[in-house]
Amino acid sequence: MSLAIPNGLDNTVERPGERAPLVLGETTYHDITEAVCKVAERPPSKGWIGGFLVAFALLQMLGLLIVYLIYTGVGVWGNRAPIFWGWPIVNFVFWVGIGHAGTLISAILFLFRQEWRTSINRAAEAMTIFAVACAGTFPGIHVGRAWLAFWLAPYPSLNLWMWPQFRSPLLWDVFAVSTYGTVSLLFWYMGMVPDLATFRDRSKNKYRRMAYGILCLGWSGSSRHWMRYEKAYAILAALAAPLVLSVHTIVSFDFAVSQVPGWHTTIFPPYFVAGAIFSGFAMVLTLMVPARQMLNLEKLITIRHLENMCKIILATGSIVGLAYGTEFFIAWYGQVPAEQFAFLNRAFGPYAWAYWTMISCNVISPQIFWFKKARTTPWIIVVVSIFVNIGMWFERFVIVISSLSRDYLPSAWAYFSPTWVDWGMLIGSFGLFFTLFLLFCRTLPVINMAEVKATLAKQEHMAHLHGHGEEAGEGH
Amino acid sequence: MSETKIETTVHGMMAEFTTVDSLLSACRRVRDAGYTKTDAYTPFPVHGIDKALGIKPTVLPWICLIAGATGTCIALAMQIWMNSIDYKYIISGKPFLSLPAFIPVAFELTILLASFGAFFGMWALNGLPKFSNPMFTDPRFDRATDDRFFLYVDASDERYDAAGVRSLMADTGSDYINEVVEDDSPKEVPKPVFLIWGLSVAASLVPLICILTMRVTNSSQPRFHIFFDMDFSPAKDAQQVTSLFVDNRAMRSDVPGTVARGQMEESLDMLTGIDVEALTLTDPPRVERLVRAYMQADDQAKAEEQETLEKEAEATDEATEAAEAAPASVMDTTPWVEKNPLTVDADLLATGQQQFAIYCSVCHGMDGYGNGLVNQRAQSISAPTWVPPASMHQETLYADKYPDGKLFSTISNGIRKMPGYAGQIKLKDRWAIVAYVRALQKSQNASLDLVPDAKKAAVEKAVEEAKAELKRQAEEAEKAAAARQQAQQ
Repeated sequence: MSLAIPNGLDNTVERPGERAPLVLGETTYHDITEAVCKVAERPPSKGWIGGFLVAFALLQMLGLLIVYLIYTGVGVWGNRAPIFWGWPIVNFVFWVGIGHAGTLISAILFLFRQEWRTSINRAAEAMTIFAVACAGTFPGIHVGRAWLAFWLAPYPSLNLWMWPQFRSPLLWDVFAVSTYGTVSLLFWYMGMVPDLATFRDRSKNKYRRMAYGILCLGWSGSSRHWMRYEKAYAILAALAAPLVLSVHTIVSFDFAVSQVPGWHTTIFPPYFVAGAIFSGFAMVLTLMVPARQMLNLEKLITIRHLENMCKIILATGSIVGLAYGTEFFIAWYGQVPAEQFAFLNRAFGPYAWAYWTMISCNVISPQIFWFKKARTTPWIIVVVSIFVNIGMWFERFVIVISSLSRDYLPSAWAYFSPTWVDWGMLIGSFGLFFTLFLLFCRTLPVINMAEVKATLAKQEHMAHLHGHGEEAGEGH
Repeated sequence: MSETKIETTVHGMMAEFTTVDSLLSACRRVRDAGYTKTDAYTPFPVHGIDKALGIKPTVLPWICLIAGATGTCIALAMQIWMNSIDYKYIISGKPFLSLPAFIPVAFELTILLASFGAFFGMWALNGLPKFSNPMFTDPRFDRATDDRFFLYVDASDERYDAAGVRSLMADTGSDYINEVVEDDSPKEVPKPVFLIWGLSVAASLVPLICILTMRVTNSSQPRFHIFFDMDFSPAKDAQQVTSLFVDNRAMRSDVPGTVARGQMEESLDMLTGIDVEALTLTDPPRVERLVRAYMQADDQAKAEEQETLEKEAEATDEATEAAEAAPASVMDTTPWVEKNPLTVDADLLATGQQQFAIYCSVCHGMDGYGNGLVNQRAQSISAPTWVPPASMHQETLYADKYPDGKLFSTISNGIRKMPGYAGQIKLKDRWAIVAYVRALQKSQNASLDLVPDAKKAAVEKAVEEAKAELKRQAEEAEKAAAARQQAQQ
């Protein structure tokens, strides 16, 4: 059964009075099961093996670099006075930002009844978890003595005889990111349980059946279970929605609560959250556009899904652009000389190259999505989403590095230069991300089958109503 | 299939449907027929089925609310206890109990616990995980998670009657109806799984047992360090080599312009042993130089001052040699401090005695006659450049000819071959040595009249004992010398 997209079937056209179909072609429930399960059941393709080997090698490199770092000390990084927050924090904010799209798609789009989320939410949630894992690595090793990172936890310590300092945004950050990681994991896993039961029931191999049987907790599909399950899912979505907004808000407090010019601004929370959604959606697109083609999922992840995400990229990209402008306006309007200098220095100082890279990638490149042709052409989408990923990394670079490199004390000014370890760890973190993502594709359901089937049922129901005229609609 | 298992327990009856609509209408018919212990199994949540089956709403939202409220309370109580009561931090002048700063963590813990409530509460209410289910015995039930819909009536229902339920289900248009029977097929867990499970449990206990053993046993070995932290300081010893400085010496002199802790003395007189007020009248430039050298750690001024002192000493020595009887201090124009600035008491003398024994006696001898161990050795090997150390008991070194300040200066800056001891002996200890030397000088010329009457007897007794001891030692030495001679012969 091939799910290749039939010619001429375009679900991006708006027809008045009709909902555009989200599952294309003459698809049955069983076709959905087949299409999704085959991704994990068939032998791995050469492309997957090659990609996995590269990603796994990079992950090993990250592991070795962390060992080298812990053995030698944080001097192996380029972090030097006055830039003590170097690449590790840039990478942390970059990854934690990417980790926002998954829960946003799952929770907020769920609460807004955006049904097009069903085909993409699973992979986006997985991406969230893996991005948070990458993000969590960096502050963990950035504390200097990484083996004492558990001192951040409020436990009654017999060594320290004291408690953590709860007025510090850095500690809020520990709570926010770990809560976010935990809740995202619960949300992802809970959503996966019915699909894991499908995997279990399709398994021919005894051990495979047992493993999936344990993972799905003995799910049977009972209607009573479904009822409580849906209630729990809705509650988790309602809890995760403010959580996802709070996390990057608190990450932005790490900067905004300090006194450094260029950091100490009230616009940071909304600006960071918009940037996080922006970068997260870009990463989802970067992964999904090639994946839907390679995994033959074009009928489930349709052009309309991609187009919707492009629209969000355009909207959030423009919000981020507006925030860049607002920062300049407030710097001028606020009349604080240090603040004004910080922003002029960003745009025209030694880091101007980074600033203008950021502006062209984040603000200018998504503007192409005003054109429908661009929103519906996969290769353009991939190119722009990669630009956005680069731009958002540079945004964090500009905020962290340019502000610290020239603060109140001109005698301490310095120009940051990363070491080979900085480079290796940034590249290695992509190894961690892609290793986990590729393993996910091969072992777990990449698309939420149960929800797509429910969407299909609703779609058929609506088509049925439409086809049989008004009289059949009675009683529904 | 069911005929061969007559004695198995029957749990109920299931019917298979291919569409949502046929399942829903079957549900309604079963409900209307009065069955209450029914359930439906579907691959996705079917809306309207709870009404069709008569399923009651769940209490899950309340569990969530309670869990969330618990999270808020725990977070607030924790932060208030930790930062406002048990360990008070002063941060940016905020009050110890600053609620706005506690909001983020309270918010996060509320969400976390409410999510736990929703997640674990849902599984608990559903009775999951439960890996054994009679429904799973029918291979066709595997499609309940794919594309088939199942209606089930439980055998414990009051109205349950196998034939009746079967015919009712057949009426609803189901093309597959089957009894759900107890799963009596042997489905043991494969042995390798048990093996791996057992091995991993055993392996996971090893570190725990190691830690527990270490906690309860004593060991004479030093504590095992994975990370050294700062438990062992890598500080260098004084004479070691280091790559940190261009001269490769680990021992560093004070940074110019700094005064080491405990070295700060307001009085220049005390630092130099010179009566600076008197010197101001005769030689103001030298006073300026002294201030630079001693108060501002100016190395060059110190060197110049040292040179002056050496020249004065040489001139004095030459003058003494030239005119035997002439007073030694004839060439010395420096106005020295006449009297020890410290209060001379038993404590000070004890300190002085101790310091003299450590630093001075090696050359000058414990008794101050200039015959310490180093001098004895130098004489015995006839060291050609050796200048014998001065005896403290020559008249030229008495307080009237050699003032306390000058003696202090000599100890501090050295004279002839003797190096200065300012770097090794603390300032007040040098003055204590001065006091002790004066006492030593007095001890060789004192009469018994100087001793208070009450202590005379004790002193006389001590003198007798000391004489007897000296005599005994001399006799022993003689005997030993005689024995040696005999042995040589």
